[in-house]
Amino acid sequence: MKKDFWCEATVGVLGGGNWGTVLAALLSQRVDQVRLWDRDEGTSRTINSTRNHPLFEAEFTLAPNVTAMSDPDRFFSGGLKIVFWAIPSSVSRQVARSLCRYFTGEEMLIHATKGVEPVTLRRISKVLKEELPVARVGVVSGPNLAKEIAQKMPASTLVASKFDEVVEAGKAVLHSDLFHVYGSHDLVGVEWAGTLKNVLAIASGATEGAGLGYNARSSLIAKGIEEMIAFGTEMGGEEETFRGLAGIGDVLATCTPLSRNYQVGFHMAQGKSLTDSLQLIGSTAEGVATAKSVAEFARERGIAMPITEAVYDFLEGRVPIQRLFQKCH
Amino acid sequence: MEKEDQPKSHPAIEYRAVPVVRGKLFDLDARRLRIVTKVMRATQKEFENQDIESNLSEALYTEKRRIRRINQWSPSYLFNIKRHRRDQVLWKEVHQSLLQKSTEADRKEILHSILKVYADEIAGHFDPKVYHFATRFVPWLFSWVLNAASIRRFLPWGMSEALESRLLVTGEVSHIKKLADRGTILILPTHQSNVDNILIGYVIYLMQLPPFAYGAGLNLFTNPVLSYFMSNLGSYTVDRDKVNGIYKSTLKHYSAEILKEGIHSIFYPGGGRSRSGAVESKLKLGLMGTALDAQIQNLQEQKPNSRIFIVPMTTSYHFVLEAPSLIEQYLEDLGRHRFMGTSSEEPPQLIKIMRFFWKLFASEGNITVRMGKPLDVFGNFVDESGKSIGPNGTEIHPEKWLTTRGRLCADPQRDREYTEKLGRRVSDRFYAENTVLSTHLVAFAYFMALRRKFSDLDIFHILRLTREQRTLPRSVLLKVADEFWIKVRDLSNQGEIQLSANLKNGSLQTWVKDGIHHLGRLHEPTALRMDGESVTSDNLGVLYYYRNRLSGYGLSHFGQKGRAKILRGELDEKGFLV
Repeated sequence: MKKDFWCEATVGVLGGGNWGTVLAALLSQRVDQVRLWDRDEGTSRTINSTRNHPLFEAEFTLAPNVTAMSDPDRFFSGGLKIVFWAIPSSVSRQVARSLCRYFTGEEMLIHATKGVEPVTLRRISKVLKEELPVARVGVVSGPNLAKEIAQKMPASTLVASKFDEVVEAGKAVLHSDLFHVYGSHDLVGVEWAGTLKNVLAIASGATEGAGLGYNARSSLIAKGIEEMIAFGTEMGGEEETFRGLAGIGDVLATCTPLSRNYQVGFHMAQGKSLTDSLQLIGSTAEGVATAKSVAEFARERGIAMPITEAVYDFLEGRVPIQRLFQKCH
Repeated sequence: MEKEDQPKSHPAIEYRAVPVVRGKLFDLDARRLRIVTKVMRATQKEFENQDIESNLSEALYTEKRRIRRINQWSPSYLFNIKRHRRDQVLWKEVHQSLLQKSTEADRKEILHSILKVYADEIAGHFDPKVYHFATRFVPWLFSWVLNAASIRRFLPWGMSEALESRLLVTGEVSHIKKLADRGTILILPTHQSNVDNILIGYVIYLMQLPPFAYGAGLNLFTNPVLSYFMSNLGSYTVDRDKVNGIYKSTLKHYSAEILKEGIHSIFYPGGGRSRSGAVESKLKLGLMGTALDAQIQNLQEQKPNSRIFIVPMTTSYHFVLEAPSLIEQYLEDLGRHRFMGTSSEEPPQLIKIMRFFWKLFASEGNITVRMGKPLDVFGNFVDESGKSIGPNGTEIHPEKWLTTRGRLCADPQRDREYTEKLGRRVSDRFYAENTVLSTHLVAFAYFMALRRKFSDLDIFHILRLTREQRTLPRSVLLKVADEFWIKVRDLSNQGEIQLSANLKNGSLQTWVKDGIHHLGRLHEPTALRMDGESVTSDNLGVLYYYRNRLSGYGLSHFGQKGRAKILRGELDEKGFLV
């Protein structure tokens, strides 16, 4: 059988964090050549020499067809047909600006960033289109805890784009027996679902940290999903998306101890400061910035978002955790 | 306004001794047969891959309905009797052929006979002699319309002088002239009045561009004089009453074909005239998509100067002749039983029409035409050399954006997305290039003041306010006008709207006076007038029409609480265009 066009192409992943590295590992099963870029030379050298990521356990190994690099000239040389974007939302614009001249416009660009640009609240696909000479942009999102996928546990995800070819390309290079890929046209909905669920994860971690019990946590999640739908549909997403894999699916995965956002909420509910909590998890938690931006935006426009507002107040140390739960009613 | 404050056109616009520039449209008649054949072949091919029978019966059904609805006593029927007879014969034959047992080959033949009629009806002619005549006749006509009060201006030198101060052409004039040599231009104008058709053609001539092919509504061809000019100046007909897929597809193939031939074109992307008076926000994408189709085929064939450039164009009028009937239709469709309409159903008296025209001629308002920043077929800005500009100084190569799985080709789903994006972009540019006049801002402020006074009322109740209720002290209008003047200037500083000269440099008192003056003179009953120290409207519907030119900018936030964003062309909870 003739191999698919996309699988014969060279595919690149921008961002050598844990999710970027796992994406590279998933791609290496389908694609001949995978390049992984990280701005930090040390990180890419470590990945190349250890075939692992510092954040993962020993059993994770990258296949030999994955090459990590920090030089963008090398990364883009010869042209890439698909580029995955796994850069945090807070620096996405800045990184895009620095890399804009390498893009040709022929590549399919799929981002894996679960967040929106702080303050402006712009979706990442929009930020990328504003900064890069590309048109065909998509997102990959779903219940995808990096650690589980690294351990070769089964999972599924959603690739969304307005363009069929982006969805097809994403499916072709990511799909495997253990990793099922579905498609959608609701780019806006999937991006907002992936963003808003992080706030819910913080709330969920906080109820756990304060020992409020499963009942409280479940009520919070159910109410939180309704809030996500109200906001997300207002922003142009489809309700169905929030009830599917990228919505409820991702919420259920993220409201568990494996999620960084959950851990931030958990530590804070146990009395630690935000800075200390972030230090403890040793990584970024997208939900912190999202809670602030979304709460302020919603307040300004008069959109009711009691849970997000409560999480924002909680993160700012303005209300204790018990009040957070009361606010949800 | 002082003489030195007189607004001026772009320096590249000449009003005197404008030469006629020859272009590809000049030999349209020599190429016509080949174009028509290509259009027929492309359309035939498109439908041969589909279920021909269902497409044919859909066409038959819609065409029979259209023919049945034609008023046989209207003058337009009589002017076009030949065409109507031909249609009747054609569809009778199609009906009979479809009833008989037919093979695939027969159906193809039926399709062919329909395409022959459609393609021939759509395709235009061009007679250089008519064009030469029109370029001399139109300035005279315009001067007459704009300056009947001054006899001196009928004289040849007075004419161009008058036009110079009354018809302002602003925007990217020289940029567009340069691009016209490097590719094919597609102008997409906003549409308010039937005057647009003549105006735009004339502006193109003033810019010293070669003549453009027009996509003009078939209704314009019903008047024998206008029809003669239109059909000999390269216009192609767009019949909005023909709603079947075969017709629409033939029309699209014609538009794509002439763009591919390198013939600069124009059509109104909003369809007909804007009924509400607002800038078009929902554009028809069918014809617009032909720009991308032509671009793909040009690139595939590696033609020289293969680029297609899109130019959004906006016109601003202090008065629109058809404003009363347009807004009435709009409000009727919107309000149904809630809209009372005007009290009299009888046709306007001749004396009223005469009075209207006299006022129109004697009025001193000028028309502003703005040539917008040129775009590529995806909606990216284009520089003077014809390169598409990407973010951060990058260049966009259209062939890269059109490459799918390593091949430069058409892809219907992808191309629909691109065209949708282009549609949004053109509409955004319409708003950004729209020149707001004192008339619009005064009308907007007046409505805002009324709404603040009667905040519980919806549009239909506001329209039914009594004279006392709708009369406002002048000071109140001035206060609200000042408030929105600041907002509009902010928008203008951000490049989201254009301001007329007196809104840019004049004082509050002057432009408000100017706006009331225009609104007071032109319509019967008056849209707005001073009454001592008060301001009142005798024609709130028409005033609403002019007010709507400023809708869609987020200037009024009535009832918008709880909404994440304000969409253009949408109504707030009281039925006002936001």
